[in-house]
Amino acid sequence: MRYIQKIFMLSFVMIFSFVVQVYAGESVSFKGKSGTLQIAGGTAHIPVMRDLARLVMTEAPSVRIAIAGGGSGVGIQKVGEGLVDIGNSGRRPTEREIESYGLVLYRWALDGVALAVHPSNPVDGLDAASLAAIYKGEIRNWKEVGGADRAITLYTRDAASGTREVFWTQALKKGEIVDTAHVVPSNGAMKTAIAQDPGAIGYVSVGHLEPGIKGLRFDGVMPGVDTVLSGAYTVSRGLYSSTKGEATGLAADFLNYLYTPEGQAIIREKGFIPAGRD
Amino acid sequence: MKAPLRMAIRSAAFAAALGLFFIVIFLLAALFVKALPVLDMRLLFGDTPPMEAIMGVRPVFDGLFPAICGTLLLVICAVVLALPMGMGAGIHLALSASPGTRRRIGFCVDLLAGMPSILIGLLGFSIILFLYRYFPFITPGLLPAAASLACLILPYLIRGTWQAIHTLPPELMRTALSLGASPVQALRHVLLPAAKPGLTGCILLSVGRAAEDTAVILLTGTVAAYGLPSGFWDPFEALPFFIYTTAAEYSSQRELAMGFAASLILVGLCGGLFGLAALIRRTVQLKIFTGKLS
Amino acid sequence: MANHFFPAREKGEKIFLHFCGFSAYFTFCLVLLLFGFFLFFAFPLLKSGGYFLLLVTPWQPLAGNYGIAPMIAGTGVISLLAVCIAFPVSLGAAAFCEADLAHKNLVRWIRPVFQLMTGIPTVVYGFLAVFLLVPFLRKAMGGSGFSILAASLMLALLIAPTMILFFSDAFRAVPKEDLRAMTAMGARPEEKLVFLLLPRARSGIVAGLLLAAGRAVGDTLIALMLAGNSLAFPSSLTEPARTLTGHIALVMASDTQSPEFRSIFACGLTLYLITTLLIFFCRRLMVAERENG
Repeated sequence: MRYIQKIFMLSFVMIFSFVVQVYAGESVSFKGKSGTLQIAGGTAHIPVMRDLARLVMTEAPSVRIAIAGGGSGVGIQKVGEGLVDIGNSGRRPTEREIESYGLVLYRWALDGVALAVHPSNPVDGLDAASLAAIYKGEIRNWKEVGGADRAITLYTRDAASGTREVFWTQALKKGEIVDTAHVVPSNGAMKTAIAQDPGAIGYVSVGHLEPGIKGLRFDGVMPGVDTVLSGAYTVSRGLYSSTKGEATGLAADFLNYLYTPEGQAIIREKGFIPAGRD
Repeated sequence: MKAPLRMAIRSAAFAAALGLFFIVIFLLAALFVKALPVLDMRLLFGDTPPMEAIMGVRPVFDGLFPAICGTLLLVICAVVLALPMGMGAGIHLALSASPGTRRRIGFCVDLLAGMPSILIGLLGFSIILFLYRYFPFITPGLLPAAASLACLILPYLIRGTWQAIHTLPPELMRTALSLGASPVQALRHVLLPAAKPGLTGCILLSVGRAAEDTAVILLTGTVAAYGLPSGFWDPFEALPFFIYTTAAEYSSQRELAMGFAASLILVGLCGGLFGLAALIRRTVQLKIFTGKLS
Repeated sequence: MANHFFPAREKGEKIFLHFCGFSAYFTFCLVLLLFGFFLFFAFPLLKSGGYFLLLVTPWQPLAGNYGIAPMIAGTGVISLLAVCIAFPVSLGAAAFCEADLAHKNLVRWIRPVFQLMTGIPTVVYGFLAVFLLVPFLRKAMGGSGFSILAASLMLALLIAPTMILFFSDAFRAVPKEDLRAMTAMGARPEEKLVFLLLPRARSGIVAGLLLAAGRAVGDTLIALMLAGNSLAFPSSLTEPARTLTGHIALVMASDTQSPEFRSIFACGLTLYLITTLLIFFCRRLMVAERENG
C-alpha cells in the first residue's frame, strides 16, 4: 500500500514539475542560465522569494540565489550601495532614497499588516484607541479589552522594518511604542513568537497569517486578502523590490517572472495579492 | 571542624557537581530525542539524490548538506589563514622574544582571546564596507568571514604553539645546538616534531572554536539559503547560523526537528574536537612526565 | 627555554625568523587596530563629551536620544546574575573533582562531562533554551519567558566550565607536600578544602571569576535569542532586556547611515574597555600568583 502511495506521489511530483517547467518556458525561461543573484531586505517577501528561487535553481542548477533578511531599510540601503542585486522593502522607498541611489522600483504585490494574537485568545478585535493604549503601555491586561485575565506581552519589530513603519504610521497613527516591548527581527520570528505565547500581541504581514496565530479585527475589519484588495482594511502597503538602475540579466528575469501567471500563482499561494508596477 | 559542617560542605559540593552533570546530560538527551525523528539521509540532502548533491549537479533544499559544507569550508579557510601567523608568533614568543616583548604581546594575545566575537565581526563588517568603496568585488562572503574568524582563533593558535614549545625539556634544544644545528634547524627537526601533539591539540581547539562561532559570521557573509558557495566572495550557509535562524523562524515541526539535529551535529563536531584536544593534551603531559619523548 | 639566543644562519632562516617576528607584532597591531577603530568611529561622540552622556541616557529614537544606558544596564544585570549563579556551582564542582570529597571513580565519570561542556556552542545553548527553558519560565513566572532570568541561567551554564577549569587548576597548583602534611595531622578532606585549598587558590579563583565574567559580557547569541531585546531599563528578572552585544547584532544589520548605527560603535568601545579591564586584572592576578608561588 505504502509502495503504491509512493509511486503515486512520485509520478505526481514529476508531472507537476514538468507542467511547471513547460509553463515557465512560455514566459520567462531560466534554462541554461548561470550566475549569482543576491537578494536582501524585507522579511515579508521571503516566502515568495524562496519559492521562486527554488524554482529557478531547480531549472538552472548553476544559478545561485542568496536570500537574506534584515528588514526594508537594509534592503534599500544594500541595493543602493550595490552590495546586493535586488533589495526588497515592505514600504515604498522615499523619494530621497530613490533619487540618491538611482533605484528602479518593482511593486509586485499588495499586502496588509495584520494584528495577531495567540489562537487561544478570546479577543476578536480591537479599535484604534485601545490598540494605541496597548502599545503605549496603558492597557496591560487582556481583561481590559474583553479577554481573559492575563498580562499582555507586546511584540514589535526592529527599526529597519517596513512592516513596523506601516503599522506605526497607519494603525498607531505614529503613537508611542512603549520600550518594554520585545523586539523580533523578522516577520517569521514574529509569527513564531506569537504562536508560542498565549499573552502575546504583535503585527505581521497578512501573507504570514497562518493557523498557528490569529488575526484580529482592526476597527471591525478582518485583515485578509479580500479586505485589503477592497480597501476596507486600511493598514495596507505594496511589496516592493528595487534594483539600482534598470534591472538586467538574471535580476530582470527574476523580477519579470513575478508578473507572469505562474509567478502570480506563487504570490497568491503565499497569501499576497499580485499587483502591477506602480 | 564539626561533623554537621563537614557534611554540609560535602553535600554542597556533591549537589553542585551532580546538579550540573545532570543538567548537561538532560540537555544532551533532549537534543538527541528531539533530533531523532529526522536523523536520516533526508536530513542531509532533502529530496535531492545524494550523489547529485555531492557532485553539485543539483541544489539541495531542506537539507543540512550545504550548511555542513559551508561550515567545513569556512573553518578550513580560517585555519589556513591563521595557522602560519599563529605558529610564527608562537615560535617568536617562545624562542626569540625579549621578556618585555613577551609580556606586551602576551597581554595582546590574552586580550584578543577575551574579545567578544561580535566586536571582531563588527570590525570585519566595517572593513568590508570600507574596502568595497575602492574594490567593488569585495563583498561579504566566504573569504571575508574566514579572515574575521582567523582573527578570532589567532590567539588560541599562538598560545598553543607557545605552550607546546615552552613545555619541552630544555635539553632538547641544547643537545641539538651542541650537535651543530642552527637554531632554526633545531626548531624544524627537533623541537617542532617533539611539540607535534601539543600543536595538534591547539589546532583542533581552534577548529572547534571557529566552527561554533556565530557572532562573527552573522554579518560577514552567511545567509539562510544559498547552496554551495562557488567562489571566495560568495555567500555561504553555516550550521550555527542555521540553528540561530531556525530558532526564530521555523515554519514546520520538521524544520524545528532539523534545528535540533543541526545542534546535535554541531555539538558532536565541537565536542569531539575539544575532547580529542583534551585527550592529546593529557597524553602529552604523561609523556613529558615519564620522559618518553620521541 | 626562555631568553634563548636565536640567530639565523642563512637567508631562508632569516626570512623565517622575520616572518615569526612579524606575526607576533601583527597580533599586537590587530588589538590596537580594534581599539583605534572603535575610537575612530566613536570619536565625534567622544570629542563633544557625548560619549559619557550616551552612557547615561536612555534610548528614545523619537526624541533623538540614542543613549546606550539601558544596554549597559542589561549587560550588567545579566552577566552579574550569571556569574552569581555559576560561581557557587562551579566552586562546588571544582572541589568535587579535586578535593577528594568523592570516590575517584565517580569523579572519573563526571569530569569528562565538564570538559565536554567547554565544547558546547553558545548558539546551541540558546536554541535549547528557546524550546525548553523559555516555555517553562513562561508557565512558572508569567510574562513571555524571554527574560533576564532565562538569559542569565543559560549564560551561567556557558561560563561554568571556564570557572571549573580555572578553579581546578588553582586547586591542583597547591603543593602536594602541604596537603600531605595536613593529612598527617589528621585533617579531613573538607578541612583541607576550607583551610588549605581555598585560601591558597584565592587569586586563581578570582582570575577565573574575572575571565568568566568577560565571557558572560561578551557572549552575543544567548542574550540575543533569550533576553527579548526590549529597549527599556531592566526592572525585574522576568522582564526582557537588551545587552550591548545583542544591540550590536540587531542594529549592525540596519541602515549604516542612521544614528542608530553610529550608536553601536559606542557600544563596541564600551565592550572593548570592559573586556580590557577584566583581562588586565586577570593577568595581574595570575602573574602575582606565579611570583608568590
